[in-house]
Amino acid sequence: MDYVLDFSQIDKNLLAMVGGKNASLGEMLKAGIRVPPGFAVTTEGYQEFLTGAGLDDVICGILDAVDPEDMASLDNASAQVQALINGAPMPSAIADAIRESYAGLCEGCQSQDLPVAVRSSATAEDLPDASFAGQQDTYLWVTGGDQVIKMVQKCWASLFTPRAISYRIKIDCSHITTLMSVGVQKMVNSRTSGVMFTLNPTNGDPSKVMVEASWGFGEAVVSGIVTPDSFLVDKIVSEINQRTISAKTVECVRDGAVGVIHRDVPPERQTTPSLSDEEIKELVNLAKQIENHYGRPQDIEWAIDIDFSPPENIFILQSRPETVWSQRPNKPLLGGKTGFELLMDKALTTIKVRK
Amino acid sequence: MSNPNRFPFAREIEIPSEMQGWEEMYPAHRMFSPERREWEETQFWYADKIHAPDPMVPLDEVFQQAWQIALSQHTTRIFCIPPAQGIAQRMVGCYMYICAITPPPPEVIQEKAELFPKRTFPLFESYGTLWEDWLTRFQTLGKELRSIKVPTEFPKYMPDFNSATTLPAVTPAQELLEAFNTAVNIIYRGWQYHFNYLNVTYLSYLMFADVARQLFPGISESTIGKMVAGAEVSMFRPEEELCRLARLAHAESKVADILRSDRPAASKIQSLRESEAGRHWLDELERIKDPWMYVSCGAGWYHYEGSWITKLDVPFSYLKGYIERLDKGEKIERSFVAIAEARDRVVEAYRKLIKTPEDQQSFEGAYKNTRTIYRYAEDHLFWVEHWFHTLWFEKMREFARLFVKQGVLRDEEDFFMFNRLEVPYLIEDFSTSWALGEGIPTLNWADKAQKRKKILDAAAKWNPPPALGIPPDVVAEPFTVMLWGITTERVQDWLKGTSAKPGDVNELKGFASSAGVAEGKARVLKLLEEIVNIKQGEILVVGNTNPAWAPIFSKIKGAVTDIGGITSHAAIVCREYGIPSVTGTGTATSTIKTGDIIRVDGDSGMVTIVKRASS
Repeated sequence: MDYVLDFSQIDKNLLAMVGGKNASLGEMLKAGIRVPPGFAVTTEGYQEFLTGAGLDDVICGILDAVDPEDMASLDNASAQVQALINGAPMPSAIADAIRESYAGLCEGCQSQDLPVAVRSSATAEDLPDASFAGQQDTYLWVTGGDQVIKMVQKCWASLFTPRAISYRIKIDCSHITTLMSVGVQKMVNSRTSGVMFTLNPTNGDPSKVMVEASWGFGEAVVSGIVTPDSFLVDKIVSEINQRTISAKTVECVRDGAVGVIHRDVPPERQTTPSLSDEEIKELVNLAKQIENHYGRPQDIEWAIDIDFSPPENIFILQSRPETVWSQRPNKPLLGGKTGFELLMDKALTTIKVRK
Repeated sequence: MSNPNRFPFAREIEIPSEMQGWEEMYPAHRMFSPERREWEETQFWYADKIHAPDPMVPLDEVFQQAWQIALSQHTTRIFCIPPAQGIAQRMVGCYMYICAITPPPPEVIQEKAELFPKRTFPLFESYGTLWEDWLTRFQTLGKELRSIKVPTEFPKYMPDFNSATTLPAVTPAQELLEAFNTAVNIIYRGWQYHFNYLNVTYLSYLMFADVARQLFPGISESTIGKMVAGAEVSMFRPEEELCRLARLAHAESKVADILRSDRPAASKIQSLRESEAGRHWLDELERIKDPWMYVSCGAGWYHYEGSWITKLDVPFSYLKGYIERLDKGEKIERSFVAIAEARDRVVEAYRKLIKTPEDQQSFEGAYKNTRTIYRYAEDHLFWVEHWFHTLWFEKMREFARLFVKQGVLRDEEDFFMFNRLEVPYLIEDFSTSWALGEGIPTLNWADKAQKRKKILDAAAKWNPPPALGIPPDVVAEPFTVMLWGITTERVQDWLKGTSAKPGDVNELKGFASSAGVAEGKARVLKLLEEIVNIKQGEILVVGNTNPAWAPIFSKIKGAVTDIGGITSHAAIVCREYGIPSVTGTGTATSTIKTGDIIRVDGDSGMVTIVKRASS
């Protein structure tokens, strides 16, 4: 039984075993797209955990008695099941496998107690038309094998929030056969991070990549607390067509025990570009690769890790299909004109010189 | 200049007193004049830094006069570009200002709109043959210019003849006048040919640039230029021939040794004559000399620039460089196949991104038309500004030598101090004095030339305003937009003033004409001869480059020019070598000093002086 699989062993054929998120990380690695290293705790591990501890029957018993219309009954059942899952001892075969993989990860990154992110990767979550999104948990800055195991259990327990329970009852889906895998991935120690689109988000032009970047962790950009630097880059000739360096007043950084805090950026660093031209070009190359891989425009989260040296320091955190422009119908921009008609138009135009 | 919305009018400009008498150097109709003031002051004039960056030498002004008519009539009377008028010229203090004339009345635009497609569209269909015809016509014209006979002296008496049979049909006096008139007629006709396809070429380019910008907003001008550029065009042939000669020499150690040495070209040639292999190599050189060595050392607009055939040290220094690179096992030729393939790959990549079949079709049509004709922009340049102008300057020097020999002028340079309408006076005055007999004085042409040389020296030190008059609302004339890059921003930059002293300016803006960023030591070249000083990895800063400079582009890290747009020579070559360039900065050669550390941003068109050289 494979309770644990390294990301490098995963591809989309293993979706049922590792869930959508992990499968997609495996696929990206396969396509040569650098994602932070890590491993998946498989659905086989989850099943073994449930059956090995005899939890499955108990859980079924509790949930069969729930009245989905009664909030109190839902809350009560949820609390009971989650306590059961969090409190049960991890079977030693799975615990050993997780500890071993975590140790391997630490070794690979030359760090003891490497901080990792522990994320649920549901087998249904990221699939179209069965969105459980947001109903499972993510735990950041987890360190040490024991903590990792604890968070894996918490992820599993998150399958049993009141909303998830009621939703499954509504769509007539079994509680126990809804399986969940968990991903354990190195936390990127971000110097700079941000997002990029494989088209120009302001006009849908597919020949551009728009990169937005700011100091520290990506939350600063994603949550909109800073105006990021932005770079509009031509995909084909790799020229930076537009470069806006903003005053980046706040950054999200790690603060030991607390996790991530917001911190003021010293004035001299606020207007320093958060990416070098080489990094921008490398990011754009990655963006093109990812878009090619998925065959459609993407919205990508990325980060530059201080713990690695270039060009191995750029990591892709997430890639989703771009949804705004990709869903609009394509209208001709040139009015269906011939080369001669366009020439005639040009011959008739004047260029405005005075404002 | 109190009004911030306009530039001074010509009559408001104070010209330095050392330039007194400058007006006499140019024909009266080329001056701002009271009787035309009403029209002149409703137009917008700007200094033509592309064709006339230096004070205008009177005889060299002939090209300007010729293009004013030729360019304008192709726009207004031949192809009839609807809202566009021609380009007018005026001289102010030895500098040439040109004008983006306001569009004609609506009914004229209407009439021209009907004529334009009928006259323009068919030429795209048959451009291949048209170009062949053009070249034949042009080469014939050049040969006519070369074969004009200029008397080498006016004899005391005509040679003996037999009056029983015939009298001398003509004397040198008649020959001289005819020769000059013929030369002027040929140069005017040549300039007429120059514009045969250029207006439409530029218009087509602008059209394609619009199409590219609509499909891919923000696409850089340099990328658009790259998409339509031809690889194998006449303008690159001289460099190719030098590479071939270098390879030939490299295979013969004796020849290579001579060419590698540090000696003037004349002395190298003498040594080459002494061996069989050397003579064979010289024969090869002789064989390609015409036309491929008829390359101006400048842009071809001033007689003093010289050309490869008159300044053999220039091509010989390139040959030395090429041979040394061959010694190191480097490849010296540019691969035209690779350049063309790279261009086609870029076009194909953009093409794939076009989302609708309608747009794909429009793009193909626009691209095909522009690609068909665009090579004219690079082909004509060699044949007209280089080959043809070189022939003209050689011919003019024959006239000059005659007048020096006859004692009317002190040196060859004097002859160029008279404009093309004055030269017939000079010829007539001298011919008359010869005809009248012994001891008949002419006007003092030599002193007049001397005075004009001083005026030109003073003019070179004067900094004329960038523009005159009121900026127009709109411009339609294709050359104004494409070649001189007249845009709202450009005019606003000018209006903000050029009052800052060169030492205070640390940033220059120009055309982002070849992508990338480079930082390094600047090498400012004012004269072609200084080219030998260029060191590996420096950034070239020059007024304007041209094909004669091509061999140094493999040495430099970037290029900045005072003049030229994205289709200028420097821009084209930099794109091919993949080095950043910013062209048309206006003042780079006066603002930047050799040794300054500069940053050239070929993506944004900015040049920054990072650190001034300690002086």
